[in-house]
Amino acid sequence: MELKAQSKWRWLIAAYLFLAGLGGGAYVTGVVADFLGGEWVQISKIGVFLGFPCVAVGCLFLIADLGTPKNFWRAGMRPNTSWVARGTIIITTFMIVGVIHIGFWIWPFHALEDAVGARQVIGVLGTIFAVLTMIYTGILLGANRPIAFWSTAMVPLLFFVSALSTGIMAVMLIASARGGALTGQVEALARMDILLIIMEMFVLVFYLQATHRVPESRASAKLVLTGSVAPLFWVGVVILGLIVPIILELIGTFGMHGEGGAAISILASVSGLFGGLCLREVVLSGGILAPLRAGRFEFALPMV
Amino acid sequence: MSAQRSNVKEDVWIHTSCGGCYAQCGIRVRRVDGVVVDIEGNPETPAGSGRICAKGTAQLMTLYDRHRVNYPVKRTNPEKGVGVDPKWERITWDEAIDTIVSKFKNMKDPRGTYFQATTVQTSEIRFAVPAFMKAWGFKNYWVSGGGLWCGNGAHFMNGIMHAAWSIIPDWTHNNYTIYFGCSKGHGAGHAALQSAQWVADARARGMKAVVFDPFLSTQASKAHEWVPIRVGTDGAVALAMLNVILNEIGKWDAHYLKLKTNAPYLIKPDQYYMRDPETNKPLIWDPEDGKAKPFDHPSIKDYAIEGTYEVNGTPCHPSFQLLKEHVKGNYPLDKVEKISSVPATTIRRIAHEFVEHAQIGSTIAINGKELPLRPAAAIFFRGSQGHVNSGWNCLEIDLLNQVIGASDVPGGAMGHGPPVSHGHPDTGKPETIPYPCPDGLMVVKGWVYDHKPYPLREPKPPTRLDLQDMFPCSVYNAFTICTPEWEQYLKDFKIDYRPEIMINFGSNSVMTMANAEDVTENFLKKFDFVFSFNIFHNEFTEAVADVVLPDCCFLERYTPCVTFPSTFCHPTGMDHWVWQIRQPVVQPLYERRDFNEIMLEIAKRLGIHDKYYKAINDLIPVRYGGEMSPEYKLDPSGDYSWQDIVDRVLKDRLGPDKGLEALKKTGLEKWATKVEEMYWRWFVPVRVPIYFEYFLDSGKKARELCASFGREDIQDWSFYTPLAEWFPCPSHEEKNPEFDLWAFSWRPSFHTQSSTQNNPWLDEVSVNDPFVYLIQINADTGKKKGLSDGDVVYVENPIGRKIKGPVKLVEGMHPEQLGIAGCHGHWARGTPISKGKGQFFDDLIITDAKHTDSLTQGSDACVKVKVYKANGR
Amino acid sequence: MPRYGFVIDLKRCYGCYSCQVACKAANHTPQGIDWARCVPAETGKFPSSLRQMLPLVCQQCANPTCMEVCPTGATTQDENGIVHVDKNLCMGCKACMMACPYGARQSVEDWKTYFPDAEGGLDPYEAYAKEKWEEKNGYGMATKCDYCMDRVKEGRQPACVDTCPAKARYFGDLDDPESEISILIKREHGFQLNPEFGTDPSCYYLPPR
Ligand SMILES: Nc1nc2c(c(=O)[nH]1)N[C@H]1C(S)=C(S)[C@@H](COP(=O)(O)OP(=O)(O)OC[C@H]3O[C@@H](n4cnc5c(=O)[nH]c(N)nc54)[C@H](O)[C@@H]3O)O[C@H]1N2
Ligand SMILES: Nc1nc2c(c(=O)[nH]1)N[C@H]1C(S)=C(S)[C@@H](COP(=O)(O)OP(=O)(O)OC[C@H]3O[C@@H](n4cnc5c(=O)[nH]c(N)nc54)[C@H](O)[C@@H]3O)O[C@H]1N2
Ligand code: SF4
Ligand code: SF4
Ligand code: SF4
Ligand code: SF4
Ligand code: SF4
Ligand SMILES: [Mo]
Repeated sequence: MELKAQSKWRWLIAAYLFLAGLGGGAYVTGVVADFLGGEWVQISKIGVFLGFPCVAVGCLFLIADLGTPKNFWRAGMRPNTSWVARGTIIITTFMIVGVIHIGFWIWPFHALEDAVGARQVIGVLGTIFAVLTMIYTGILLGANRPIAFWSTAMVPLLFFVSALSTGIMAVMLIASARGGALTGQVEALARMDILLIIMEMFVLVFYLQATHRVPESRASAKLVLTGSVAPLFWVGVVILGLIVPIILELIGTFGMHGEGGAAISILASVSGLFGGLCLREVVLSGGILAPLRAGRFEFALPMV
Repeated sequence: MSAQRSNVKEDVWIHTSCGGCYAQCGIRVRRVDGVVVDIEGNPETPAGSGRICAKGTAQLMTLYDRHRVNYPVKRTNPEKGVGVDPKWERITWDEAIDTIVSKFKNMKDPRGTYFQATTVQTSEIRFAVPAFMKAWGFKNYWVSGGGLWCGNGAHFMNGIMHAAWSIIPDWTHNNYTIYFGCSKGHGAGHAALQSAQWVADARARGMKAVVFDPFLSTQASKAHEWVPIRVGTDGAVALAMLNVILNEIGKWDAHYLKLKTNAPYLIKPDQYYMRDPETNKPLIWDPEDGKAKPFDHPSIKDYAIEGTYEVNGTPCHPSFQLLKEHVKGNYPLDKVEKISSVPATTIRRIAHEFVEHAQIGSTIAINGKELPLRPAAAIFFRGSQGHVNSGWNCLEIDLLNQVIGASDVPGGAMGHGPPVSHGHPDTGKPETIPYPCPDGLMVVKGWVYDHKPYPLREPKPPTRLDLQDMFPCSVYNAFTICTPEWEQYLKDFKIDYRPEIMINFGSNSVMTMANAEDVTENFLKKFDFVFSFNIFHNEFTEAVADVVLPDCCFLERYTPCVTFPSTFCHPTGMDHWVWQIRQPVVQPLYERRDFNEIMLEIAKRLGIHDKYYKAINDLIPVRYGGEMSPEYKLDPSGDYSWQDIVDRVLKDRLGPDKGLEALKKTGLEKWATKVEEMYWRWFVPVRVPIYFEYFLDSGKKARELCASFGREDIQDWSFYTPLAEWFPCPSHEEKNPEFDLWAFSWRPSFHTQSSTQNNPWLDEVSVNDPFVYLIQINADTGKKKGLSDGDVVYVENPIGRKIKGPVKLVEGMHPEQLGIAGCHGHWARGTPISKGKGQFFDDLIITDAKHTDSLTQGSDACVKVKVYKANGR
Repeated sequence: MPRYGFVIDLKRCYGCYSCQVACKAANHTPQGIDWARCVPAETGKFPSSLRQMLPLVCQQCANPTCMEVCPTGATTQDENGIVHVDKNLCMGCKACMMACPYGARQSVEDWKTYFPDAEGGLDPYEAYAKEKWEEKNGYGMATKCDYCMDRVKEGRQPACVDTCPAKARYFGDLDDPESEISILIKREHGFQLNPEFGTDPSCYYLPPR
């Protein structure tokens, strides 16, 4: 019996999950930086400014994936029906807060530029929804009970860590790309990211191990580790998403500073961001429906 | 539903008959505003009882298939051959018929005409084909499948033993069925859909099935036991079982053997019957009176079937005694285990189970009639018969039914379709009751071939291009025409005419007769002019047709007799007799025109319509049981349309108020079956042979005849023996160890031979099925060869011919064998959906004298192969 | 109110795909949509290997996961237990297709002709089928088996039940303990597929052997 992976949710949804996570992560980075204040103001702005557009663009990918996009607006009309609906509310709220945050921070409004307190209140509110956004992308997959590879608490955790990490990397990327030398803040972010990447590695190992219990998730793990998804996993996720950034960030923080450091930081971030996208795609394309059972037989559902 | 469409003007169901395969189930077809939108079973008919298969429903897509042939075309590329592009050019019907008629008129010798017809449209070939042959004066024809897979051996043998085309268990009472290479009730023909219901009911009731098959076929997957067997060895296994039954268990239905077979007939040491010098009747031994008597003498008190008796100084044995000793001496279990790969213990156990389930001696009352109850049966078909041992394999399997008396009695093996009919209550037709020959053996009343299975044909200097008339029991010979030796045969046997015109009705013989290249180069290309009635431009038309005529498909035409003769499609059981017709559900689309109409028109244009009408008058009594009433006979000087003929046939067979107009309303006529018809064996005073004495003379005569032409070598004459023997196929004697697998072919239930693969609904099913478009190999065997799922391999036969395809490693396959589904792997340009899907098994077959059953001239369809990976996938 | 249910007897089913094709014809489904999908499987090692077909329909679950995940309210369940998709509400997010444990939901993007290599427009049947499909279903949205409610309302059986050559499929009322299906389930140890998903299907299977 050959179990086949689902094929309905692929790159468009991966891009959505990735951008939603990244947006949330960047925003949180921005808000935390805002609390740190001082030298961190640039970082803070970059983070907050990234939040809304990334999530919004992500939503466009989601809409592009819909079969009947004209009914998109219905997604949030019945909040307690489902996780998609709940997620829609979460993301919409996050985007609204994010827009307000950006909007009132910039010209011509400037309203939040000096009203630090109000800004931080909004920031906390936004952070709550950003975190929910980051976690929700994992919960969304987990609602699919017949796909064991997805319906585990590991997925939200994995997506959360990855969202924070990619969020930070996105901020690092913009900060470094603006030219000039590597700032201490970026180095600090890189150190933070190193920790996150290490965490992500642990979560990933744990995830791939924990899912080995039922035949379909064994098949998923096999597909990801040695099957047709393996190249994307090993090259995209492991090498580009984890190993390259962590090595470069180590070099950056402990070895190289200045303009070379900035270049390395850019490289690390681009690589890591790509890895983050791959991670979503890998998780999606490892989604295998449970076989149906009758007597001694196991029936592999045809591709959904 | 339909009410929602406010503008609907018409929404009707039309009752007719499916033509998706030869089961011919009753269907009803829904037409909305002139468009056929659904096909369902007709609940009113016993031929399916309202259920139809995937192929039947999918015929909707064949009606409207946009690749159908819609206009007459002619070939503009003079080159012919496999894979050649004929470069069709559209022509008018007038031009097409003018061309055909002038070709006929300019023939050197009308005998050089050849008719090829398809088995799929089985009820369409009963009129135009024989009528035109008689009227134009030629004898050459081939109904595809015949001789290769389903014809010569099985029908011949069932005709002798059951007066029928085939055998099927009486599922309403059967408790134990042994399948030898057939799928009855699980897909293939033989009242497919009614059988499927009955066998499912029987299984639910606890009926056990044991399936001998090289792979875990559909029927094996549903059976309580699958016995993997080496192809072509079924007869040997049956003989070994017979050995166990006769010599170990020692239980048989003596009453049946004494009265209904030639078991008591006394055999002289020279193998012939001991006959009564006065009456020339075979003698039996009456142990009570202690003397020999003619087999039907009224004074007989009992029959000896064992022992030795001296008659007029000659020691004689009842034939049963000889059979018993023969299987003991020649078919010991260990020997058969080596031949068949079936463990001796399994053979023994199944023989025991079979006899136990037969309940010999038990009776049952049906409709107030006391009948023997024998709820065990051994059945067979294409799988066991497509071998060098074709005829004998079938006979040997049926001997199992004979020794337990399970023959056309409740629970046993039944002649299929029901061979005995007393006719419609109003007309007494069709009437088909077998009768005894002077030796007491059964002669069938109606038969669809022009020669009955018994008495055997007198071998005559051949007149047919395939030399058929020289052999006592063959129907078609592929081995003569498909070889490069054909011309030599024609010369040696002094055939004084040559092939000129081929009429092809459907038959895709390039794919269904033998290896495509052989059929095309050695046979089909020898015709000067080939025209084909077809619904597709298939491999045949593209290879050799000069003109193709767009035929109607079965949903666009009239047919008077669909379920009769009952050969393939009439369910066998105490339901009802059903006479189904076929009628158009839409007017023929485009320029399609019905085959029967056109053949009639050609006959008229050739001025032979008088003979054509006469031929129809003559053939109806033979095929549809009973003389025609004078008022419905066709007047040779008259002028009839095809519909007139249909109408007359119906009125003649069913009564004056049951003409075409009347039957169009329901599509069928039903009447009650009688116990004497369905369970006829003890109601008809006939015997059947368990000892084939008459083979001796026939063989001798045929041999002498061949010798007189200097070609005694043409066949192996040892096949003409009175006692059942098993003869190996060349594949069983292959010495080269490289060729380590036997290849065989099987039918999926959702395809019909080579004709349904272009149907997009069925193709959709097939593409998603894990078995049909792939080559199945046993998983361990495959792994040993370094193969894994999806690897593309070559399968090559000992003469270097090969086919290519992806493998599927399975557990449900004998380790020494390799299975290929159906007749797929198309290459015709005219059927793009089917192109390149699946494999074309027949390309591996070798067709020559060595690969032919010397008894029935059936071709061998198994072959030894080697398998290796194709480079670069 | 009856709770409509199905019984599929795996012992009787011989895997002929007739139900799959009958459903296609009865519901005029486009290429790629098979609501009565048949899934074959093999188990065991030679020579004790076995093969069996699993014919599927929408299980009309009492607790349908498809409805649980549907954000738009397009998926609803009627009083007979039949789960429907409202073509006007569905946004085609495919969440239900992932969440249904029985592969009962499918969607297509467009009407692709079955005869792509042929010249000219759709044949009369395909043109009719397309119109019918668009009337009741559509493109991009989730579609599924509804136990042939149109036929059932006319007093007929579902198409796949009517045609099954092995009489392996039964349709009826689960709430009526006297119905043929209730009796079969009880007498022949009917079971639901993969109960671990907690969906409580209305389709029961009878054991394969
Ligand atoms: N590999 C393999 N080969 C086999 C077999 C097998 O099991 N495996 N089985 C063998 C057997 S038993 C048989 S009987 C033969 C059958 O062999 P054929 O009788 O040649 O049957 P088909 O292969 O179905 O081809 C029939 C052709 O008839 C045409 N046709 C269909 N309906 C109509 C119609 O209404 N009118 C006209 N004019 N044409 C029509 C179609 O174009 C189709 O190509 O195949 C044999 N060949
Ligand atoms: N669905 C469908 N039904 C059909 C047809 C069709 O094409 N499709 N064609 C009709 C025609 S023309 C015919 S002749 C009948 C044929 O009907 P069947 O005789 O039932 O035909 P097959 O399925 O080809 O063969 C039966 C089985 O024999 C097995 N087999 C092959 N070789 C051997 C062997 O040497 N020994 C044993 N024991 N088994 C062997 C095969 O694996 C297969 O499972 O079906 C008719 N009905
Ligand atoms: S078994 Fe043959 S005749 Fe009957 S519905 Fe199927 S294709 Fe038609
Ligand atoms: S139609 Fe009946 S026998 Fe055929 S696959 Fe479907 S359920 Fe099984
Ligand atoms: S089978 Fe699937 S689609 Fe049908 S009700 Fe259950 S969950 Fe929903
Ligand atoms: S695809 Fe349609 S029915 Fe399915 S969950 Fe999304 S909105 Fe609901
Ligand atoms: S009940 Fe109707 S819609 Fe459902 S699978 Fe059967 S035929 Fe198709
Ligand atoms: Mo056949």
